Amino acid sequence: MVQSAAILALILPLLGFVFHVAAGRFVSRRTVETAACAAILGSLIGACLALAAGWGQAGSVTLFPWFRAGDFAASFDLLLDPLSLLMAVLVGFISLLVHCYSVPFMRGDPGYIRYYGYLNLFVFFMLAVALADNLVFLFLGWEGMGLCSYSLIGHWFHSGERTAAARKAFLVTRTGDVAFLIGVALLFAQGVDPSVSSIQAQAASLSGGTAALLGLLLLWAAAGKSAQFPLLVWLPDAMAGPTPVSALIHAATMAASGVYLLARLFPVLALSPTVLLGIGAVGTLTALWGAASALAQRDIKRVLAWSTLSQVGFMMLAIGAGDPAASMFHLIVHAIFKSLLFLAAGCLIQALGEEHDIFAMGGKLRHRLPHVFWPFFFGVLALAAVPPFSGFWSKGRVLSAVLAQPGAGYTALALAASAAALLTSLYAFRLLLLAFFGRSARTDALRPESVPGSMSGILWPLALLCLMAGTLDLPGHWGASNWLTGVLASAPGLPHGPEGVSEALVALLDSALALAGLLLALLAYGPMERFFPRIPEGARLWNLMARGFGLDGTYERILARPYRSGANLLWLRVEQGLLETASSGAAALLGRASSGVRLWTTGRLSTYLLMLLAGLVLILLIAAGMRS
Amino acid sequence: MIVPLEHVLVLALAVFLMGAGCALLRRNLIMILLGVEIMLNASGIAFVGSSLAWRELHGQAFVLFIMGVAAAEVAVGLALVVYAHRRTGRLDADHFSKLRE
Amino acid sequence: MNVFPLLTVLILLPLAGSVAAPAFSRKPAACRAFALALTLAQLVFLLAVIPWAGMPGTVVLREDLAWIPSLGARYSLAMDGISYLLVLLTSFLGVLAVLVSWREIRSRIAAHYASLLLVQATAMGIFLARDLLLFALFWELQLVPVFFLIAVWGHEARRRAAFKFFLFSIAGGLLMLLAVIGLYVAHGVATGTYTFALTDLLASPTSPFLQGWLFAGFLLGFAVKTPIIPLHIWLPDAHTQAPTAGSLFLAGVLLKTGSYGLLRFGLPLFPHAAAQAAPLLIVLGLAALIYGAWVCFAQTDVKRLVAFSSIGHMGLILLGLTVWNEISLQGSVLQMVNHALTTGALFIMVGMLSERTGTRDLTDLGGLWQRIPLFSSFFLLFCLAAAGLPGLNNFVGELLILVGSFEQHPAAACIGFAGAVLILGYILRLVQATLFGLSGAREDLADLTPREAAIVAPLAGAVLFLGLAPSPVLDLLREPVQALLAQWGG
Repeated sequence: MVQSAAILALILPLLGFVFHVAAGRFVSRRTVETAACAAILGSLIGACLALAAGWGQAGSVTLFPWFRAGDFAASFDLLLDPLSLLMAVLVGFISLLVHCYSVPFMRGDPGYIRYYGYLNLFVFFMLAVALADNLVFLFLGWEGMGLCSYSLIGHWFHSGERTAAARKAFLVTRTGDVAFLIGVALLFAQGVDPSVSSIQAQAASLSGGTAALLGLLLLWAAAGKSAQFPLLVWLPDAMAGPTPVSALIHAATMAASGVYLLARLFPVLALSPTVLLGIGAVGTLTALWGAASALAQRDIKRVLAWSTLSQVGFMMLAIGAGDPAASMFHLIVHAIFKSLLFLAAGCLIQALGEEHDIFAMGGKLRHRLPHVFWPFFFGVLALAAVPPFSGFWSKGRVLSAVLAQPGAGYTALALAASAAALLTSLYAFRLLLLAFFGRSARTDALRPESVPGSMSGILWPLALLCLMAGTLDLPGHWGASNWLTGVLASAPGLPHGPEGVSEALVALLDSALALAGLLLALLAYGPMERFFPRIPEGARLWNLMARGFGLDGTYERILARPYRSGANLLWLRVEQGLLETASSGAAALLGRASSGVRLWTTGRLSTYLLMLLAGLVLILLIAAGMRS
Repeated sequence: MIVPLEHVLVLALAVFLMGAGCALLRRNLIMILLGVEIMLNASGIAFVGSSLAWRELHGQAFVLFIMGVAAAEVAVGLALVVYAHRRTGRLDADHFSKLRE
Repeated sequence: MNVFPLLTVLILLPLAGSVAAPAFSRKPAACRAFALALTLAQLVFLLAVIPWAGMPGTVVLREDLAWIPSLGARYSLAMDGISYLLVLLTSFLGVLAVLVSWREIRSRIAAHYASLLLVQATAMGIFLARDLLLFALFWELQLVPVFFLIAVWGHEARRRAAFKFFLFSIAGGLLMLLAVIGLYVAHGVATGTYTFALTDLLASPTSPFLQGWLFAGFLLGFAVKTPIIPLHIWLPDAHTQAPTAGSLFLAGVLLKTGSYGLLRFGLPLFPHAAAQAAPLLIVLGLAALIYGAWVCFAQTDVKRLVAFSSIGHMGLILLGLTVWNEISLQGSVLQMVNHALTTGALFIMVGMLSERTGTRDLTDLGGLWQRIPLFSSFFLLFCLAAAGLPGLNNFVGELLILVGSFEQHPAAACIGFAGAVLILGYILRLVQATLFGLSGAREDLADLTPREAAIVAPLAGAVLFLGLAPSPVLDLLREPVQALLAQWGG
């Protein structure tokens, strides 16, 4: 039962893709849209059934063998444990909402078949990542997500900028993918079957060095897909895609898939405390980097993009602190509020006629679009971790996990994470205030009617969940059990989380940070702003923050540009220059030698007679020499 | 033998070299043919001397062969030279250099 | 020894066709039909009759007749799984080549098809021969029809490209022939029997010094064909200037003869020399991978871009061959087939594109997705296959090669893995410049005709099949690879 439901959940989106490719051109638009949403609905139902039926157990199913050579085998295997099924349910749920949202959002777009096809295909690949046992199958989903992301970011392919952003995303994530495959090869060379279940079972048999190396490789792979330092440059540019795509791929699912991979393969990471600390450091650094950059953005989607990678940094930090359950909790909560924020942003953008600049929005929006404002407000409260919204509980779990770890390293990380939390709250409220409370006059383009009810209707379930999702894993001392931790603990490989340092202390700290951020934002951007120093939004530091501290530019300078000029150099100087000259030179040399020899054929009898005689003398000398 | 074989061979060599010099250094076609004739005769001298020294009759017989060959070769050669002269009016060996690149 | 000379039929069929084709020189339509029928018949023969005689994976079909007894040369053919696969590939590409040149070739049609069939016949001979002299014969013979294919029916700079190809190949072939003769003589001197047969020469007791030189001769001969940089100079021009069918055969078959030669003859005949040369070959293979991908990035001629990509892919295959273990060998042979299919498909599509737009320049193309969507979808599929996307064919071969290499040469394998990023770089550039962006807004372009769809669809099917279910092919390779490994443990 579990198995068939899971297989159904996995296959339906793929069938949707096949349908769109084969028949999309021959059926009506309505049919295409309905088919897309129906496939995802079916997938969600399947995932929920599988989760319910297989409660607490782990099962596996082999779809069919893929290939094998020698001892190396890849097959389409699924590992169905609470972690993977939970992820499948999450993916299905968010995808369903995004698909339904896309129907009104993309209502005028001529490339709809391509859009829904790739969207369905993406869901298939993401589910493959979530459910796969064999790592090569997981990699199929992993790279497939990269492909769909590329196609969807570059959906409006007439624009060179958008396709450049899509290219950057694919290339940067692929550098991460290289590490993934090296990890697979390393595992195989060590005699471990490259699959999740084997890793969970045999992780302890790996040597310390191998485990550390593997951990680092997995970290690099995860950093690529989740836009962590130093591979974070692609996510802000990926906002060039349609907003539902940003919501699904770059907020809820693909961006979090790196974290999911680390959680799945946690037994390997757990063997090496250094690697764990490294993961935590990378996460914290990204959290700070993202939060600081988000603070300086003007484009609403870019704020959310930097926010995403910052929040994923928190998830990484939780893994680094040895508590993957906390990480998953934040992953689920983040998926909900971030997709909510993106979808609401999409409503705003369409209402204002493709306006992305938050400085162009203002108080009028609050009055004219209340059905967008309130869900957005809920989302911001969750992001800023204001109690009792879900973000408060999940971020609290993360912080308490970090604080529970001994050592100066973790203390430093905790401090940095707290700073990042403060910045989070700050930029979240800055966003809210500028978008909905400002005094901008440029809101004449406001057309509330361009936000169909079906679009803004989707926001409400998410908003509600923002409030309620905290109940998934309420800390023990509030009277409710740690439900999520309990469920995940039954999944093989996930340890029981460390006992939280005084939960009340963390809760206090968290709320304090959130409220401090609110206060600062009100001071800087709210009604009192005229009494306080202006934020230097044009200053050099601010510009640097807006450009993500120049990391993108650095990569362009030290990697992209030399590569391009190197290619041209190789082509012109080496291929056309050196090698061509070498071969033509060899030919010319032969030609010259030949011309030199040609001088012997003078056509004159006297020369020939002389040569005849000389040859005869030579032969006689040799004959005489041989005889003696 | 009255004359030692070595002397005969030296004579043959000298005559051969003179003939070779005549063939190589002269530009007139008829002189080249003369040179070839002289070289043939030099080889004839060598044959006669050796035949006498080793008491073999074949050497002497071979001289007759050489004379026959020389006569035939001169006949054909002179015929060609006469024809060439009639065509071009010149007997200069360097003039006939069409067999080049 | 078979009762019916099945293997000779494989060689004779296209050979006979090649000889018969000039009879149709006044009737081009009949000629095309004849060529198509012949190549299809051969494909059917391979798929239906040969397996009935004994599945090539486990059974080895042989033919062995006396040829030149005084020299010890025998007419010796054998087909194991590896040869079967490559022969099947050649046959399949033959059908496609005939279809592809249906409209493209307008003059001297009969001679063109005669050349194509002759290339096919000689390629079959190369893949089936087990006697060194016979192999060298077919090897040299192959150059003639390819030279004419490029020189007569090629594009603007065809003469120079044809000559470069011919001179490079013949120089390499000469060195190889010298090495063959050297090995023959050395073996004869050492053991007393003078023979050209592969099985006899495999354990030849020659001195290591001599082995080194002979291996160098073989290697240089195969290095020109594979190609191994820096002897690749002929390839970009030859591929670019050849007609589409010519490029298809060049990339799909000729390049494979080089790596096949290494696999069957070069490496097994001289194990010690090969082991010593292994580090160099690995470096050259990786250098080809990186260099090929890097230069690709700067290309503006679409065909030349695909040609340089071939260099990169063959470098990876060379790596797999050099490492010489079970997984990497299976991966290499599989990748030979994959590369032929993918790059062949790309050449075909690029050929179709230049037929329609009249240009091969990337800066002139663009926005094709809207104008010819069906074409663009197939093109995207093949580009993604070339980029090594999992689920498509190249990924399986590449992964097997690199996983197989990892244990003994981890650093090389890591570099090989990293090459994927560079490959993606130029693939995305290619896709961007052709499919996306703004189109130069010209007249309407025709989408795929039924004939073109009949060419492209089987290729796409093969790409997907080999990507998702390559087990039948890998099973075919298992025993021959193990047999090769048994000859020399590496």
